[in-house]
Amino acid sequence: MMNLLIVDDDAGILSALKRSLRREGWNILLADSAREALRIVDKGAVDLVLSDHKMPGMTGTELLAEVARRRPETVRLLITGWAEAVSKQELKEIGIEALIPKPWDDAELKAVLHQHLG
Amino acid sequence: MVGAHPVETGPALVRITVLQVPGADEPVFSSVAQGVRHEDSGHTNLTRADTALALGQIGAQVEILPACDVQQCVELAGRFEMDLVILDRCDPATVTAFFECGVPPGAPVVVVIPAEASESAALDAFRHGAADCVRVGHDYSEVLALVAMEQIRRWRQIRDRDAAQTKIHWLESLNEAIVSEIPVALAVLDDARSVVEVNPEFQRAFGLSSEHVRGVHVQSALPKDLIESGNLLQLLPPPGLALPEGSRLARMVDAQGRGSVFDVRSQRLDGEGHILLALSNVTQTESLSRRLGELERFNEFVVRSINSALMVVDREAKITFANPPAGRILGCPEGGLRGQRVEEYFSSAGELPSPLARALEDGTDSKGGEMMLSLADGTVIPIGISCSPLREESWDVQGAVVIFQDLSEIKELQRQVLQQEKMASIGQLAAGIAHEINNPVGFIHANLAQMREYLDDLSEYLDAVGDLQRAIPPGAAPEIQQAASALEETAGRIEVDYLRKDFASALRESLEGSERIRHIVSDLRDFSHQGGLATTLADVNQCVDSTANIVWTMMKHSVELKKDYQVLPELRCHPMQLKQVFMNLLVNAYQAIEESIEEGSDEGGVIEISTRHRGGGIEVAIRDTGAGIAEENLPRIFDPFFTTKEVGAGTGLGLSTSYGIVKKHGGEMTATSEPGGGARFEIFLPLEREPLREASPIDGSDEPITE
Repeated sequence: MMNLLIVDDDAGILSALKRSLRREGWNILLADSAREALRIVDKGAVDLVLSDHKMPGMTGTELLAEVARRRPETVRLLITGWAEAVSKQELKEIGIEALIPKPWDDAELKAVLHQHLG
Repeated sequence: MVGAHPVETGPALVRITVLQVPGADEPVFSSVAQGVRHEDSGHTNLTRADTALALGQIGAQVEILPACDVQQCVELAGRFEMDLVILDRCDPATVTAFFECGVPPGAPVVVVIPAEASESAALDAFRHGAADCVRVGHDYSEVLALVAMEQIRRWRQIRDRDAAQTKIHWLESLNEAIVSEIPVALAVLDDARSVVEVNPEFQRAFGLSSEHVRGVHVQSALPKDLIESGNLLQLLPPPGLALPEGSRLARMVDAQGRGSVFDVRSQRLDGEGHILLALSNVTQTESLSRRLGELERFNEFVVRSINSALMVVDREAKITFANPPAGRILGCPEGGLRGQRVEEYFSSAGELPSPLARALEDGTDSKGGEMMLSLADGTVIPIGISCSPLREESWDVQGAVVIFQDLSEIKELQRQVLQQEKMASIGQLAAGIAHEINNPVGFIHANLAQMREYLDDLSEYLDAVGDLQRAIPPGAAPEIQQAASALEETAGRIEVDYLRKDFASALRESLEGSERIRHIVSDLRDFSHQGGLATTLADVNQCVDSTANIVWTMMKHSVELKKDYQVLPELRCHPMQLKQVFMNLLVNAYQAIEESIEEGSDEGGVIEISTRHRGGGIEVAIRDTGAGIAEENLPRIFDPFFTTKEVGAGTGLGLSTSYGIVKKHGGEMTATSEPGGGARFEIFLPLEREPLREASPIDGSDEPITE
């Protein structure tokens, strides 16, 4: 079973996302901060990280850049309410596979995740 | 100075004094030869006939002044200028007496010796000083005539020579006086341009003594800077060439650093190549006239170059001077203002502007004031004004100088900057709120979608429960019968069928609601998204639509919004500024509709927004069914500060600001209206045009708004 880690400092978002993806056949892991996310990533076996951008302490792009350094094989996706805040250049440098807008559309989100998790 | 006057050359008339002492033995003749005139000397005796005959042969007009004694003769000789004195046959004692009388040196004396006189008489006469002697004989008249002519000729020669010498002497003295006293440095140069002589002024002016400078080439004699600055060598062409006419100005700086200016002329003196060089020191004249010229130019430049309007007003408040900017602002060519009463062109609600009135009244100086100026055509513009009294030597106020600037543009820019800043902060606030709403809306929406799935699952389950309940046979176990009736009772109590149906409705409506919140948030984000200082490619439809959606929230109760968008090419523009224009127009349209509703129209209004791609540009039209614009106001609605709203209700800057923004995009904005029939504003924005002015002081930061 694929392990999917969702990172967001808003608990409402975390549980809503988990609810949306409950029946997709993935093991859903949740982290409410970048620090927590890195701890889970370090334990290994995380196939995909879906992270919010604006979080206290460490932003989503910073987190994904760090994930890329530690576990380059991990698929990295960013979900944000302000896509303009992150430049295409930045996405490319960090190797972020997709940028998902917030609020998201369930069907679209699932389609993107399936595309990246095979 | 010379006191002597030049001696007149001898008159054409020959004047001769003849002394003859009448004797008893000789008759006195009264006959006079032709050409001889006798001057009546008060004596009865006249000249002897033979003498008169001789004198008549001289060939000129002869005037004889006869004398009958020594004293009279001497007197006559002293009184008149005589050409000749003849002592006619006087006795030796008279001759001696005459010469001993100390006759002043002058006319030659010819002594006529009687025929009978001794040989020594002639010798005696010569010894006394006679010029010649003639003895009376048979050829007496011819001899006397010859002797007289010769003596007169010689005497005249001497006299002319003396006169010429005196004149030369006088001229020399005059010349010397002029040369030495004249305040002009003079130098005489020879044909090799070496200095022959200089005057004292030359020595003074250039600090050279004539001994030092004599023989020196003029180039070495005069200061180098003087020669070069005046191009003085051109005044001294090689011999044979004509001297240039006129004078040159030449400058020099002496050892003490004092500058002098000379007016230099040259004059040919003679055929030997001598040239007179005259250098007049005109430093003071030159510096005064230069200073005057400088002052005039300075004034002219100041008045011409200041961008501000400048007007001079006399004590009677009549305009005596106005520069071109003054004419431009006051709508009158500059010449036309002169002599006009100032308040006809320059007034504050019909009265003399108070800074000017105070300056004229008591000489109050005022600087940097601002006021509204009423122009002759009724337009009112904001101006900056400074007034200073113009004072006479006596310090009485004789008028005032008014300097003013048209502040319309500055005020409008200030207004625009303020408006932009306001819009930018509203934008930032909206962006912040949008972001905060975004997250909860995100999960509410996701949860509602999830709950709909759950409801579908639960419905399936409830259907199965219903099927189970209906499958219970009448003879089932009492526990089962009991449970089934409890289920039925609960279903009835909670109205499970209604609940199922309404749960779905509630979810659908909530989803619709959250969808609407998502759109509002999205519009807010679009609206507040800043283009920054640089232009960006933007979809005008999207600009119009997001603005319309924001504005519509406040007008939806009274206004129906009709949108008619055509697919448009992207436009390079400042999207935020265009949104501001659309917002101004939409709010105006809304207010016009509100106004007509207040006036009793019971129908709600309609605002139609349409966009078209035509004629190489984009056309945006906003039409309303409001009160419309009065015909007389139509030409002025884009003027800054023009407003029909109540005091305080509007600044009157919205439309002029919008107009300015459209103009800055190279576009046009027009308004048409029928009173009561609503207004239509059309904006045309060209797709291809000159680059936008990028360095506008508008907009906030260029940074993207971060999450």
